[in-house]
Amino acid sequence: MRLDIAILELSDALASYAGLRQGVIAENIANADTPGYKARDVLPFAKAYADRPAIAFVPQATRAGHLFDEARGAQNFRLTEAHAPGVANPNGNTVGIEDQMLRATHLKLQHDLALGVYTKSLSILRAGLGRR
Amino acid sequence: MENLLNSMVSAAHGLTVQSARLRVSSENIANADTPGYHRKILTFSEAMSGTDGTLPVPGSVTFSRGELERIFQPEHPLADAEGYYDGTNVELMVEIADAREAQRSYEANLRMLDQSRQMASGFLELLRR
Repeated sequence: MRLDIAILELSDALASYAGLRQGVIAENIANADTPGYKARDVLPFAKAYADRPAIAFVPQATRAGHLFDEARGAQNFRLTEAHAPGVANPNGNTVGIEDQMLRATHLKLQHDLALGVYTKSLSILRAGLGRR
Repeated sequence: MENLLNSMVSAAHGLTVQSARLRVSSENIANADTPGYHRKILTFSEAMSGTDGTLPVPGSVTFSRGELERIFQPEHPLADAEGYYDGTNVELMVEIADAREAQRSYEANLRMLDQSRQMASGFLELLRR
């Protein structure tokens, strides 16, 4: 059975976006003192989500493993070089710890928002089923 | 979830490399008065990460090729005919600045590790309901 509930899909996409972004920012911070390292980030969520492949027709798998549906889950998040102005080091490193901390806080908020919306939607569904 | 695990791996690499750097720095400070001691320098080398990027790993330790300080002290056992002996090329100021930078980066990595853990436990919380 599959539930096609847009809000669950949206919060799923936002949570995986935040997860990916956490990986990228952690990598930036790990390389905070590596000469020549260029800081990266994921393109903003609104843009990435709008550009996701349109799902006009999704074939249904009758058994798990028959078809792997890559179009779902908005996995087309792209990485780009990004850093705040003025944080570049003379050795070519563009990781500013403060800048990265700001991004980390932002993605944590996005993640909390996604999980919050997901949990709330689930409890509304439960309420609709007459359970608490 | 896989990304969160990858981010913990990245943070762990950062912690390892910064603590190695701190160790080298404290070795230098410990030897700040050892005659003939050359300052040690830690180089970073690279490992592949989960997102096609690179992660730092502690590389080889090399010795600074800076001039040793010549200290005039004729009664010193190591003094040569002119009364000078070789000191170190450790600059305490440089070592402390380096150690402070390593500490700052270490803390940033630790915060990322903690945040990844919080995000992962948020996911697990969903399953408990």
